[in-house]
Amino acid sequence: MQTEHQVVPIRTPDNDSDGVTSVIRPDGSLNPETDPKLPLETVLDLYRSMVRTRVIDTQLVRLQRQGRIGFHIGSLGEEACILGSAAAMRPNDWIMPCYREFGALLYRGFPLQAYLDNMYGNADDIVMGRQMPDHYTGKAYRFGSVSSPIGTQITQAVGIAWAARYKGNDEVVSVYFGEGATSSNEFHTGLNFAGVMKAPVIFLCRNNRWAISVPSEKQTASVTFAEKGVAYGIPGVRVDGNDILATWKVVRECVEKSAAGAGPFLIEMLTYRVGGHSTSDDPRAYRVQDEVEQWRRTDPIQRMRTHLEGRGAWDEARDEAYKQEVETELKACITAAENKPKPELGTMFDDVFQHRPWHLEEQCEALLAGPRPKSEH
Amino acid sequence: MPQMNLVQAINSALASEMRADPDVVVLGEDVGKVGGVFRVTQGLYDEFGEDRVIDTPLAEGGIIGAALGMALYGLRPVPEIQFSDFIFPAFDQIVSEVAKYRYRSGGEYTAPMVIRTPVGGGIRGGHYHSQSPESLFIHTAGLKVVCPSNPYDAKGLLLSAIRDDDPVMFFEPKRVYRAVKMEVPEEEYTLPIGKAKVVREGEDVTVIAWGAMLFEALASAEEIGGEGVRAEVIDLRTLWPVDIDTIVESVKKTGRVVIVHEAPKACGFGAELLSMVVEKCFVHLEAPPVRVTGWDTPFPYTLEMEYLPLQHRITPALLETARYVP
Amino acid sequence: MANFEFRLPDIGEGVSEGEIVEWLVAVGDVVAEDDPMVEVMTDKATVTIGAPRAGTIHDLRFGVGAVALVGQVIVVIDQDGTAEPVEAKSPEGKKDEGPAATAVGDIKDGLPGSNYFESGANGGAKGGSGGPAPAKAPKAASSASASRPIDFFQAKPLATPATRKLARDLGVDLRRVAPSGPSGRTTRDDVRGFAEGAPTAPHPSPAASTRPAAPIAVDDASRETRTPFVGIRRKIAQRMQTTKNTAAHFTFVEECHCDPLMALRGRLKPAAEEAGVKLSYLPFIVKAVVGALKKHPVLNTALDESSNELVYRNYFHIGIAAATPAGLMVPVVRDADQRSILDIAREIDRLGEGARAGTLSADELSGSTFTITSLGRQGGLFATPILNHPEVGILGVHQMKEKPVVRDGQIVIGNVMLLSLSFDHRIVDGHVGAAFAYDIIRYLEEPDRLFLEMV
Repeated sequence: MQTEHQVVPIRTPDNDSDGVTSVIRPDGSLNPETDPKLPLETVLDLYRSMVRTRVIDTQLVRLQRQGRIGFHIGSLGEEACILGSAAAMRPNDWIMPCYREFGALLYRGFPLQAYLDNMYGNADDIVMGRQMPDHYTGKAYRFGSVSSPIGTQITQAVGIAWAARYKGNDEVVSVYFGEGATSSNEFHTGLNFAGVMKAPVIFLCRNNRWAISVPSEKQTASVTFAEKGVAYGIPGVRVDGNDILATWKVVRECVEKSAAGAGPFLIEMLTYRVGGHSTSDDPRAYRVQDEVEQWRRTDPIQRMRTHLEGRGAWDEARDEAYKQEVETELKACITAAENKPKPELGTMFDDVFQHRPWHLEEQCEALLAGPRPKSEH
Repeated sequence: MPQMNLVQAINSALASEMRADPDVVVLGEDVGKVGGVFRVTQGLYDEFGEDRVIDTPLAEGGIIGAALGMALYGLRPVPEIQFSDFIFPAFDQIVSEVAKYRYRSGGEYTAPMVIRTPVGGGIRGGHYHSQSPESLFIHTAGLKVVCPSNPYDAKGLLLSAIRDDDPVMFFEPKRVYRAVKMEVPEEEYTLPIGKAKVVREGEDVTVIAWGAMLFEALASAEEIGGEGVRAEVIDLRTLWPVDIDTIVESVKKTGRVVIVHEAPKACGFGAELLSMVVEKCFVHLEAPPVRVTGWDTPFPYTLEMEYLPLQHRITPALLETARYVP
Repeated sequence: MANFEFRLPDIGEGVSEGEIVEWLVAVGDVVAEDDPMVEVMTDKATVTIGAPRAGTIHDLRFGVGAVALVGQVIVVIDQDGTAEPVEAKSPEGKKDEGPAATAVGDIKDGLPGSNYFESGANGGAKGGSGGPAPAKAPKAASSASASRPIDFFQAKPLATPATRKLARDLGVDLRRVAPSGPSGRTTRDDVRGFAEGAPTAPHPSPAASTRPAAPIAVDDASRETRTPFVGIRRKIAQRMQTTKNTAAHFTFVEECHCDPLMALRGRLKPAAEEAGVKLSYLPFIVKAVVGALKKHPVLNTALDESSNELVYRNYFHIGIAAATPAGLMVPVVRDADQRSILDIAREIDRLGEGARAGTLSADELSGSTFTITSLGRQGGLFATPILNHPEVGILGVHQMKEKPVVRDGQIVIGNVMLLSLSFDHRIVDGHVGAAFAYDIIRYLEEPDRLFLEMV
């Protein structure tokens, strides 16, 4: 199964044509051959979604440094591949996240307040403070639940896609993972199952070059990550993941083909993790700042802004105003989230099973009747 | 009413539920055309087709991960792990994902699925076809664990498990697969998960067992009956959540308990049962609670009958416990 | 440093615990250094311990009858009247200024209890220089031991939970029920029998040996008096029980004709009195025993069951059992083989007085290799002495009496003394024991022989 824009499958040192689709040129103009020709309002919408994601990211890191939230795992520099792919999924399609895709969840309309409540693990948190920050869930938005172990969502995505097709529903499942996850059992098993089952899955590999401290060269001896699809009979596609229009275009085409019965696709989105792995990580310990600066020059938001300003559709004043708008909304959500109580004690015993068995009733009673811890973190 | 063995009863349950509910699908290694290595799914492929009886690639993690995806979507998958000894590649999916999805999604998602897998030894299977890993899953919050001992219970419990909105580990004692035949209704019926059964009543000592070891326990109970000791035998049927009421009621009556399981002793389910008995029946205890279990070794091939806690080891334990001077 | 914590010292050789027999001070009492403070009973002796420091008694950690281990704090003395609570104060640590990146699971503040690990208390954390030293581990739960109730019978009865419940339901104090079950268990039937007033089971099983015998059933409490079974009496009981349950006793009785010995003693008595010594027969018997022990070294052994070794003692410490107001004691004449008869007589006198006065040290009450027990005027015809564990032989000496004896075909009046010897049959064969006994008798019947072997 081949698609016209995908260039891979095999790239060797002798053949270094990288076959990476991009749209936005350095001067802001668009490559007419690859331009998806989206309406301006959609393009602006994509741009704003990236800015919003970055404003939130930046603020969350600040909150974490002040000790107001425990943790954040962000998407600094990776906004284009996350938002571009999320936007390319159709409303009925499913998104199985890794853990860096809060922007995708918000793009789908998940309330910012609900996201902040998750970051604070308060009583209104959908998952009732049972998980770390950034381990959100959103079934109403056809968005899976974040798990920390690497790659576990990949085989699950295959099952969802297979089930949707079995039920005769026109739904495709996208599943995010970093390039590090391509080393996991679940990646190989998931791609293999999807290939055999012809499941409508879009495997979205965010190749951000770093798996915590391990560079992508140490993750695989393959020249590209896209070519890994070949062994499973799955087309591998590479796209400039810092180009939101290119990402949108490539993902949307794969979604349409997959929905039409073409089976799964593996898309390698080339990007760069500008921040640390998470707030627990300081990347200065393992990589040189020059590399980061080099990637900053390909910053996805700046590229898009150059394009929009070239079209006369955006300017500094509008940019500032929009950021201000997001910050105001965000600060209100933070204040509200901080003022909400913790989840009630008894909720710890809910949702282990549909109904609480005797032993959990017994333990819940013991918890409620028992002494409270001396420190509350 | 037809006579069925355990294999036929489980097959009957799967077939009847698949007829009744199109969301029920079966997947696993060799479950399709050949009907599974133990033939438990025989005939299902022909009746329901390859979309509902799926021969998967050979990767247990993929079977469970994909099944979980199906369950998240709303199906009721019944994945089979060919031997419970092979379940460990799927351990992460079961422990971190299947068991946790409801909890970690705040109840938004559920994982209604039944992981069927043959369990236990006594079939000359050696280490990798004989183990009893049930306690690992009991220890994992979020899983129900069932282990029927006989065809009638197996069908009723499997139907309940498939209809349950929580994930269920369904351990099938492979030594019993074809060894026991009994009358099993063709039509559907359910038995409640979480209810044990007092299979034999007695006043002197309680024996708790499940799966294949139930029959050994019963044989010992009969044997000591000849010496005037009346043993009460409980078939747990559901290991988790365990039917504490039945256990407590019996131990309060007898004051003595012997727990039998194939799994190794250390941290085996018997350890938990024993703790519960002590916690809940302490003042009624007239003798130290005893466990008769597999040894804390890997499961051996040639000496498997020495490994298993069979009648020859259960009987003296029962006598000693029953005769302990209180 | 207002509070001085006094730990129970090793007051004998290798004593590991001591029982509080009596507190001679109460909380709040002012004591001068060395004022008598507490009487502690070890398995060797009861000793009075004086106050190690002057001050006010702040805390008594063990009640009367309780057993303290060597090294445990038994009393706290407030030395200058500024007693402060015992709990360790943790100096306040410096708080980190400003927020810092916190890795997941990076606990910045010390974990509770981490001060137990002194060397690692600051490891890894920034802490800075001269950070506060970790607080010392909290003191042992003092209040718990201080409020420990007096348990006259110390050891807990053995019973299944169900039997315990039955006893509670029937209002039966399990400690009053004699056990009849295996391993010394008090059975359900014992409890029921007790509650119904049936005679209690008579026989504690062998395995119950290390536990004190159970008390008898109450018949009419109003006409009974109960006194604490503590101190020497309990130690004696425990030792006797131990001995009876380890050694395989057999007893050998023979008579000894003492006319020559009487004559000898009569001749030496005035000389001894000149030396200030009241000469009894006992020093001669000690010498006779030493002579026989030298011929039969196996009688001077002890069985070390922990290593399965028979220990031959190449020294002769002869225990002399003595009745005292507090009970039976066995002061020891050390190196009896190297002492003269006069010397032995003097030592026996000294030890006897000390035993009656309770002033002997633990060392003077332990270490014998063979024991002699004088059964005295009321010694009866013969007796079956219990060995002084871990010795393998004991000699019971009965009162010398005039008896008809046959000498040269004539019935005459002779002075006859019966000797009752018990041996540990595990180690001493019957004929060996008999040979040993006859050697003693020969020395006593022909006391001149003692001079032949005098060192």
